[in-house]
Amino acid sequence: MDPECAQLLPALCAVLVDPRQPVADDTCLEKLLDWFKTVTEGDIFFPVGSLNLTPCKKKVWELLGEERSSRGTPGAVPLVTPGLGRPHRVQCRAAAGAPLPGGAAVPCAESPGPEFWGPLLLTPPGRNLRSPGKLLPVSSGAVDTIFSLQGDSSLFVASAASQLLVHVLALSMQGGAEGQPCLPGGDWPACAQRIMDHVEESLCSAATPKVTQALNVLTTTFGRCQSPWTEALWVRLSPRVACLLERDPIPAAHSFVDLLLCVARSPVFSSSDGSLWETVVRALSCLGPTHMGPLALGILKLEHCPQALRTQAFQVLLQPLACVLKATVQAPGPPGLLDGTADDATTVDTLLASKSSCAGLLCRTLAHLEELQPLPQRPSPWPQASLLGATVTVLRLCDGSAAPASSVGGHLCGTLAGCVRVQRAALDFLGTLSQGTGPQELVTQALAVLLECLESPGSSPTVLKKAFQATLRWLLSSPKTPGCSDLGPLIPQFLRELFPVLQKRLCHPCWEVRDSALEFLTQLSRHWGGQADFRCALLASEVPELALQLLQDPESYVRASAVTAMGQLSSQGLHAPTSPEHAEARQSLFPELLHILSVDSEGFPRRAVMQVFTEWLRDGHADAARDMEQFVATVLQVASRDLDWEVRAQGLELALVFLGQTLGPPRTHCPYAVALPEVAPAQPLTEALRALCHVGLFDFAFCALFDCDRPVAQKSCDLLLFLRDKIASYSSLREARGGPNTASAEATLPRWRAGEQAQPPGDQEPEAVLAMLRSLDLEGLRSTLAESSDHVEKSPQSLLQDMLATGGFLQGDEADCY
Amino acid sequence: MPEIRVTPLGAGQDVGRSCILVSIAGKNVMLDCGMHMGFNDDRRFPDFSYITQNGRLTDFLDCVIISHFHLDHCGALPYFSEMVGYDGPIYMTHPTQAICPILLEDYRKIAVDKKGEANFFTSQMIKDCMKKVVAVHLHQTVQVDDELEIKAYYAGHVLGAAMFQIKVGSESVVYTGDYNMTPDRHLGAAWIDKCRPNLLITESTYATTIRDSKRCRERDFLKKVHETVERGGKVLIPVFALGRAQELCILLETFWERMNLKVPIYFSTGLTEKANHYYKLFIPWTNQKIRKTFVQRNMFEFKHIKAFDRAFADNPGPMVVFATPGMLHAGQSLQIFRKWAGNEKNMVIMPGYCVQGTVGHEILSGQRKLEMEGRQVLEVKMQVEYMSFSAHADAKGIMQLVGQAEPESVLLVHGEAKKMEFLKQKIEQELRVSCYMPANGETVTLPTSPSIPVGISLGLLKREMAQGLLPEAKKPRLLHGTLIMKDSNFRLVSSEQALKELGLAEHQLRFTCRVHLHDTRKEQETALRVYSHLKSVLKDHCVQHLPDGSVTVESVLLQAAAPSEDPGTKVLLVSWTYQDEELGSFLTSLLKKGLPQAPS
Repeated sequence: MDPECAQLLPALCAVLVDPRQPVADDTCLEKLLDWFKTVTEGDIFFPVGSLNLTPCKKKVWELLGEERSSRGTPGAVPLVTPGLGRPHRVQCRAAAGAPLPGGAAVPCAESPGPEFWGPLLLTPPGRNLRSPGKLLPVSSGAVDTIFSLQGDSSLFVASAASQLLVHVLALSMQGGAEGQPCLPGGDWPACAQRIMDHVEESLCSAATPKVTQALNVLTTTFGRCQSPWTEALWVRLSPRVACLLERDPIPAAHSFVDLLLCVARSPVFSSSDGSLWETVVRALSCLGPTHMGPLALGILKLEHCPQALRTQAFQVLLQPLACVLKATVQAPGPPGLLDGTADDATTVDTLLASKSSCAGLLCRTLAHLEELQPLPQRPSPWPQASLLGATVTVLRLCDGSAAPASSVGGHLCGTLAGCVRVQRAALDFLGTLSQGTGPQELVTQALAVLLECLESPGSSPTVLKKAFQATLRWLLSSPKTPGCSDLGPLIPQFLRELFPVLQKRLCHPCWEVRDSALEFLTQLSRHWGGQADFRCALLASEVPELALQLLQDPESYVRASAVTAMGQLSSQGLHAPTSPEHAEARQSLFPELLHILSVDSEGFPRRAVMQVFTEWLRDGHADAARDMEQFVATVLQVASRDLDWEVRAQGLELALVFLGQTLGPPRTHCPYAVALPEVAPAQPLTEALRALCHVGLFDFAFCALFDCDRPVAQKSCDLLLFLRDKIASYSSLREARGGPNTASAEATLPRWRAGEQAQPPGDQEPEAVLAMLRSLDLEGLRSTLAESSDHVEKSPQSLLQDMLATGGFLQGDEADCY
Repeated sequence: MPEIRVTPLGAGQDVGRSCILVSIAGKNVMLDCGMHMGFNDDRRFPDFSYITQNGRLTDFLDCVIISHFHLDHCGALPYFSEMVGYDGPIYMTHPTQAICPILLEDYRKIAVDKKGEANFFTSQMIKDCMKKVVAVHLHQTVQVDDELEIKAYYAGHVLGAAMFQIKVGSESVVYTGDYNMTPDRHLGAAWIDKCRPNLLITESTYATTIRDSKRCRERDFLKKVHETVERGGKVLIPVFALGRAQELCILLETFWERMNLKVPIYFSTGLTEKANHYYKLFIPWTNQKIRKTFVQRNMFEFKHIKAFDRAFADNPGPMVVFATPGMLHAGQSLQIFRKWAGNEKNMVIMPGYCVQGTVGHEILSGQRKLEMEGRQVLEVKMQVEYMSFSAHADAKGIMQLVGQAEPESVLLVHGEAKKMEFLKQKIEQELRVSCYMPANGETVTLPTSPSIPVGISLGLLKREMAQGLLPEAKKPRLLHGTLIMKDSNFRLVSSEQALKELGLAEHQLRFTCRVHLHDTRKEQETALRVYSHLKSVLKDHCVQHLPDGSVTVESVLLQAAAPSEDPGTKVLLVSWTYQDEELGSFLTSLLKKGLPQAPS
């Protein structure tokens, strides 16, 4: 701890314990505790002890007591519990005078908590306490307090208490009185015994919250601890856990599933542990559909598990889709889902019960299958065709075009018609299914339903977005047929049907739809811009023209997406048809985009323009390559004046690309990269420097070096360092120091610093620039800039000062949450 | 027992990070999804792990509702939807949907780029998040699904702020978000109808305060601006494009007109157009005066306030400039501040909250030497003023809203614990309504008694009316019938109709009882004595002596029998149907007292 803080701390404690002074808010107190923790990193005991400031220590405890009484909760002490996930505010309602572990006496009847809880809470799980043996045996009072905290009205407290219990259990199992680990099968240490008795008792309780607490404690234990004793723990408690399945309804089913999966995942348990799998098998048939799905998915994700169980789990997972398929398929459908799957009464009941239960079950099923599909351990054979059929059917049920084959089907038609929630889930899964291999007709089927979805006037913007995403995935993964046209036989026809729909969507009244359509167009042309079929279909449509019009869209998001799309199309010569009547449209896009960069009132389109220009320069786009220097000069001039610092930063990115093209690419700093011989620059250095001066790059870069926005200054610093390194390799200029120009360049420095342009762009002499580069401490500047803007604010001194200053100012009318 | 459960993940006895989970009739709704400005780590967002414990977020939550565009109410939304993984619907009003991304983008720029934070949401994520938004109109009932509906009410506070009613069946909750019960220069006062929700969740920022007249603060503001320009100084007012800026512009415009001042007032270029665009677009959301004036002229097109050009900043002489952003963290306001900070004649007036890490926050906390980028030190000699123009309801306003909505219970959020405690007592004592103030992570459970609508059959109603009893709204009365539930609907019908509709045969249930009488006479005579006795006692009932010797009173049947073991005792077998339960009980107790002595 630095001396400034050490000086401030006693004064702060004095302020905090003074009842007349307003207490600093919780945020500051939490940060103060954070800081306490950091200054004593490595010391497990509560940091105040190691500050060696006895008066402070006492005062902090008093402060904690004060905080507690102000909250009106007896014994409420805020503590931060790192290592237990995110920090929690723990209110330890320790009964005053409760005996503490290790027989430590409560230092003060009013504040029993921190001395005891601190070491436990502040130690990350899995890390030994300095001497765990000292904590044992745990007296009943302390553990009882944790038991009661498990039922606290605050979720945060209850959760922290359960985690603390696991912590205590693990500690007591790690070492007995002699510090030897306990042997499985041997006598349990007293503390562990008490905790297990409590867990057993809770498991048998008729109150669901108690059962939930017990299950959560066990889940955390098996999740965190992988010592052999956990197996013994399971052997002891598994009958009680299994008994829960006999109750109707099964209590805390969600936590129950979590526990089973956690135990199954634990490496301590051998896959041959029969009792566990028996319970899982029973659970799969007893649980309701809401919990069956997550259990089945969890089983299928396990690396080791009996094959019969996997089969059963997969059947469970497929059941809802099998029901849907059965209810709608007139003729026998594709094999896979319906084979050997008898209608499960519970599933059918759930599907028929109400709209929300039906939608819920289908959404969960589709999401589970979506999660399973890309995994290597997914069931094999994977019923790709049936799943696709079922998903298409679900989508048809949603848009009302499915034909029911039974009364259940009729009911489903009524329930799912227009159900956006199910449509979204089905489209997500349909997109994922594109990654599987399948015959041509599958692709046709999927694309047909997607086109219907995109065409449907009733589709909501969120559905259309997902439909575009799924379509893109199917198109990009569609099989290519060698010898045929480049995109296979199916795609050209589909594109001819798709573009009219895309045109319609580019004119949609909702900006969300126009934007999604433009994003789709950008992605598709990025991947297929070179494909003749795609180019032909696109240019035959009005899509490029409409995208061009969207550069004037009233919504800035859409304008930005239109800029990106047009930039992409233009890169591939697709921004307008080649026919003579479109000659006007085929003119350069550059002035149009430059206009947006100069006048658009929103940052998104301007940023998009800068990205497009940078891409153009990098790829040698005709508009950039025609007169590269003029192009760069014009763009930098506009970008340097922009009020949005991200535009200015992007301007520096463009400058860096130009530098690379003029002087050669930046050297790689990767030690493992193959060292290539230096590429000779395109032109002699002096000429290159003159070009850089001419485009106004130095003006821009030196101004940006003192930009009030840190990322711009950082980027400029990097750029100038790169330039200096490049120049250093030229011996002819290395020694050129001083000279008449140096003075003039240095004289312009303050003006740059003040954010003004030094002189008309392009007027600098290369020598003056070189002199300037040498005179600047760029490395020093870079390390200064590496610190965040609020590093002073974030410092502990600032916190202590803030807390000191807060006293007396937090009066009624000041609260302002704008 | 049905119940409503409320768990604040943020704004429970706290201001910032508003996020309240409500569970009502099996539906789960998240009210607001804000960030805490006081933290720079992941504590800035609500702790969503408590929802993710319940399985997939999109399955668990039915919807998210955002009350208004301030970051402590919507700042965590892109994180929640794009990084935590919520993929369901998000509801907010049209103005909130339009303005929300501007604020989120602004904050992203500070957090990610200036502070160099990683793992923060991107521009693309903000856009993707906004695409999930379903915008609602005021007083429009929106069906989230078949059972859950929501409705927005005007909340004042800022453009587009709304209170939301969440309703499932007959149970409802109202969430106020932030609101203002007094109109200001550009917005109206919050209003809600007498919707009598089960629970009203209200903000309580000024729970203990009756705010001073806004005029005092306005006068103070004008005085400071006027004094500065009079002595030749320049005034910088950093503002967010929308909100207080418009209020202050109207204020200055009116003052300049009245005082005939010539000193120029400027507003950042691009900003006026943007503000005008939103105010024109959302004119129904402004106050009545502005709406009326708008027919002739746009109140936001000013005579004295002109568009600002960056070159004006160097002009000599006094001027007033409104510039964005409001926290002096970047852009035009910061550039002007750097130019003017060194002159003690100048003044900067901060009309709103400033996030830690911004120049605005630094100067408000009294720093006079600012470390700018690249180790430059800027000495601040200009005067720095803070003026609170926030528009929250004060204690009086909160009480007024509670009185207006007439809830069964009230739950306080978005305030400090001590102040809430005071208001809680006031509400409980003065309005006799139970009041709660859970801390973050604490769950309040309210049992509800849902009123279930029951249809009544025409036949049953006619039968009742035939008895001359017309239904009256103010005088509830008892009606007998059979309640049947069919297709999730309840109907009260006559028992005959119920049997017919359900295709059931009628079964008669009879209650029986034995009464022992001391009587040495024969059974027939005993029966006759019983008949005579009942005839004399029950004058209004039909008492009959049947040929088989039994006696009937309405449906009650009495038969005398002689047990073989005791000839001096007779047993009376009494039986009756449920319709005559009272009569049956009365007769048995009467007969147990014995028969009157027969005249000998």
